[in-house]
Amino acid sequence: MLEIIDLHKRYGEVVALDGCTFQVKPGRMMGFLGPNGAGKTTTMRAVFGLVRPDSGEVRWNGQPITHETRMRFGYMPEQRGLYPKMKAHDQLTYMGKIHGMSTRDASAAADRWLETLGLADRRDAPTETLSHGNQQRVQLAAALVHDPDLMVLDEPLSGLDPIGVDTMAEILRGQAREGKAVVFSSHQLDLVEDLCDDVAIINEGKIVAVGNVAQLKAAAPIRHLELEMEGSADSVLSLLDGVRSAEVVDGRHVLTIDADTDVRQVLAEAEKGGVVRHFVYTTPSLTDLFREAVA
Amino acid sequence: MSWWRAVWLVAQRELRERGRSKSYLFSTVFIVILLGGAFVVPALLQGGATTYQIGLVGEGGEDIVATAEAIALEEAGDDEPDEFETVAFDDLESAEAALENDDVDVVLVDGTELVTGPGGAFGGSAIESLLQRAAGTRRVQELVESGEEAAEVVRILTTDPLQMRRTAGADEEDEAVRGVVAFAGLVLMYAAILMYGSWMLSGVTEEKTNRVIEVLLSTLRPWHILGGKLIGIGLLGLAQLVVVVAAGLGAIDITNAVEIPAVPFDSVVALIGWFILGFLLYAILYGAAGSLVSRMEDAQNAVGPLTIVALVGYLFSFAALNDPDGTVAMVGTYIPFSAPYVAPIRLAIGDINALEMTAAVLITMVTIALLVRLAGRVYAGGLLRFGGRVKWREAYRSAE
Repeated sequence: MLEIIDLHKRYGEVVALDGCTFQVKPGRMMGFLGPNGAGKTTTMRAVFGLVRPDSGEVRWNGQPITHETRMRFGYMPEQRGLYPKMKAHDQLTYMGKIHGMSTRDASAAADRWLETLGLADRRDAPTETLSHGNQQRVQLAAALVHDPDLMVLDEPLSGLDPIGVDTMAEILRGQAREGKAVVFSSHQLDLVEDLCDDVAIINEGKIVAVGNVAQLKAAAPIRHLELEMEGSADSVLSLLDGVRSAEVVDGRHVLTIDADTDVRQVLAEAEKGGVVRHFVYTTPSLTDLFREAVA
Repeated sequence: MSWWRAVWLVAQRELRERGRSKSYLFSTVFIVILLGGAFVVPALLQGGATTYQIGLVGEGGEDIVATAEAIALEEAGDDEPDEFETVAFDDLESAEAALENDDVDVVLVDGTELVTGPGGAFGGSAIESLLQRAAGTRRVQELVESGEEAAEVVRILTTDPLQMRRTAGADEEDEAVRGVVAFAGLVLMYAAILMYGSWMLSGVTEEKTNRVIEVLLSTLRPWHILGGKLIGIGLLGLAQLVVVVAAGLGAIDITNAVEIPAVPFDSVVALIGWFILGFLLYAILYGAAGSLVSRMEDAQNAVGPLTIVALVGYLFSFAALNDPDGTVAMVGTYIPFSAPYVAPIRLAIGDINALEMTAAVLITMVTIALLVRLAGRVYAGGLLRFGGRVKWREAYRSAE
């Protein structure tokens, strides 16, 4: 288990981390969310010793992290992170070797990953000649080639087409199923919602929400309500307490209401008034949680 | 993973990727061609007609020159033949004086001895061998006319060539060779430091630009990477230098432009040793400078001061070439940034003693050891600070 414990980091006047704490558990996939400049990259770099926090620490299985521990970590930095002129296969082999693999094992693993990612025919192509999506695939393979126990990926989905996103998601899910701890940052909240077991939301250097996605949603103070019916819904909706916002989109009422508002009465009234074409009562989306958390 | 494996992995990558890159191969070939051209082109140009000035002392020389003229005419075919002018001298002394002033190319004494000037001017060997052949031909004609036995003819021909002698003494000749070695070594050293230094610079900046450095640093320590780069690039540089020097000597040999002297062994050892020291000294600093910038475009600015230091060291050594035991040369021996240029020169043509040489080596090595720590720390600090150009002091402070 990766434990990030009360990290603080300042760059002059700028506070980058201000008490960042969360855990990433083996076999689970965590989405690490936050607005730009919230401290995501700084936190990830701290895991790899690339940033030395002013206070706080990072632990792996209860122990402080050393160079030896990091041999078992995989890291995909935000931008590139590859040698442009090096051949894809050579590049992956090198990454494997600097993580302690023998040349033979590293070369075999490199070929395996190129095959898995559909890049076997581009094995000897210099990285710079690959398309953006394929470079990103190679970069993912570079983080995976040594079969790490923990994967930390900074914006792995950005700039990928839907097929690329599927491939990436598939592989990350597979890693989590194998018992690896996976954490990645992203701005694509709908994807994170589908993909992740847990999320941590960081804002201004502090974790403002963390936990299981379903539980977080259930614990949220708001709910979504959508209603579409024959005739006017105004009288029905006027029965509701705790309406936070309401709008009408194409004749459909979309409301944000307090979580403890009882909507059964509304549904009953609506059915009395006419045919109900559409009625949805749900927990908020991750996007809503995010907006709420960083507001 | 042991530290030496980590360092070697980095070095190995440099050797492979850089070693088989087109730019490495091209730069090697280019320097070889350049160096070869410097010798081959003049030799080819000299293939045209040349007028030789031949000094004569005593009797018997005229016949040899006339024969040489006939041979040259025959060999020239449709080309314009070489011409021969003779200058008669009353005594050997005045002839040798003319030889040293380059008024004549060679001096024939009594038709039996051939005297050449110091060193080997371009084309010197061509006239020498021509006159030898002319003398031999004359001898055969004389023998045939006198009706000697064939066996006697062969005996005389094989045992009795023109006696060869140079005006300069053996020591002076060695001195001249040493001067050439010192100068060629100096130019190569300066070119090598600038070129391999810039490889360090661009190699380090490239990793930072591409953020590969973030992945590397998650398992390797900064000094593994810096050390591996130094070894990899150093070995490639050394290999290129060896190829270039070998090609240069080969070009001289093929074209016979100058006689290949026995290059003084101590000079070559000193050059290689000082190349390694000089490379390390400067390359560490180039590497540190490379860590301070995030974009290739800024890299040249970051090394500006360093390039000036290298240039000043180089200029120091010209003073040493002129006056190898003067004050400037003495001082330059003990300044680590000029020592790699000055010390080999002083060994080749000056009067440096073992104690001075040892002191210079030690001072430079201590400086390198200090730089490994200081520049290594700047490198470690600079690597992860992206954006604008990082100041040396700032980078030093930000590292632990």
